[in-house]
Amino acid sequence: MNLGPLQLWLLVLALGLATYATRLSFIALFARREMPKAVHRALRHVPPAMLLALIAPGLLLTTDGSLNLQPDNLRLVAAVVGGSVAFKTRSTTWTIVAGMMSLWALEAASRWLGGG
Amino acid sequence: MYSRADFLLGIRTMLPVQIGTIPFGLICGVAAVAAGIPAPAALAMSAIMFSGTAQLVAAQLYGAGAPGLVILVSCVVVSLRFLMYSAAIAPHLRELSDRWRAVLSYLLTDQVFAAVIQRFRHQPEHRGHPWFFLGAGLTLWVPWQISNALGVLVGALVPPSWSLDFVVPLSFVAIVAPLLRERVAIVSALGGAIGALALNGMPMQLGMILGGTVGIIAGIGVERLRR
Repeated sequence: MNLGPLQLWLLVLALGLATYATRLSFIALFARREMPKAVHRALRHVPPAMLLALIAPGLLLTTDGSLNLQPDNLRLVAAVVGGSVAFKTRSTTWTIVAGMMSLWALEAASRWLGGG
Repeated sequence: MYSRADFLLGIRTMLPVQIGTIPFGLICGVAAVAAGIPAPAALAMSAIMFSGTAQLVAAQLYGAGAPGLVILVSCVVVSLRFLMYSAAIAPHLRELSDRWRAVLSYLLTDQVFAAVIQRFRHQPEHRGHPWFFLGAGLTLWVPWQISNALGVLVGALVPPSWSLDFVVPLSFVAIVAPLLRERVAIVSALGGAIGALALNGMPMQLGMILGGTVGIIAGIGVERLRR
């Protein structure tokens, strides 16, 4: 990848410090302050927005950058299956099981169809 | 003062949660290795960061070839929820020493927060007592390290043809999908996805974090319109 060993270790250390700082924030770093209400409200939008932004390009774009919403986009189909399981069960484990099983089945089916 | 009963109650409260955290720890270990992170660094990530979501975000972006600074900023953004937890729990820990607060902060996670804040709110006499928190935190920490290590091992043994890197998007789907019962969350999720797609050509994989910012702004905007 693009990071050397030393850079990777420095990054891991920085990541640890950064996550620790967010936890330590109001408990110790600025213990005398209250969190402004507007900030609190804004923070609730972070998980849906950030996490989908992180996965959307990988799921929806082909290697040349064009949109693929067809059923031959196996990862997208498997992610939709996983998503419906997550919506119903709220369980990470069942989501992963359903999503991985779907992907493996779809990949096997597409190999079989392609080969036959 | 030491309270063995509190410590044990903390452990007992967190034991059922392991049904969810052990598989999630496995996934984080697998994902780090599948993204190309060497095993020792992957193990260090689980020990130092101790946050599944941040570890997965780091793995995802590292695998996509993003530079360190972009990875760091993205992990900070997904960790911003800890600010909320920290602010909510701070008043209950005010009487503790700096050392206790430093240790307990490190052990603050989604699940531990849920258990600890409930106890502090319903039983205010436990304010300023650290042992329940410590028991709960350690009961999450130890299995987390073991399951991550197992995941790193599995990830190193399984060939790439098994597509195990797909566990990362699936875990994010698992976190986001249940939130979509709220209309505002649908807006921020769609905003983030569309933003990231539109900005996909940007250098250094910046499109993802900027796209996510678009989603956050969209969510705030819609919420403001509705009030």
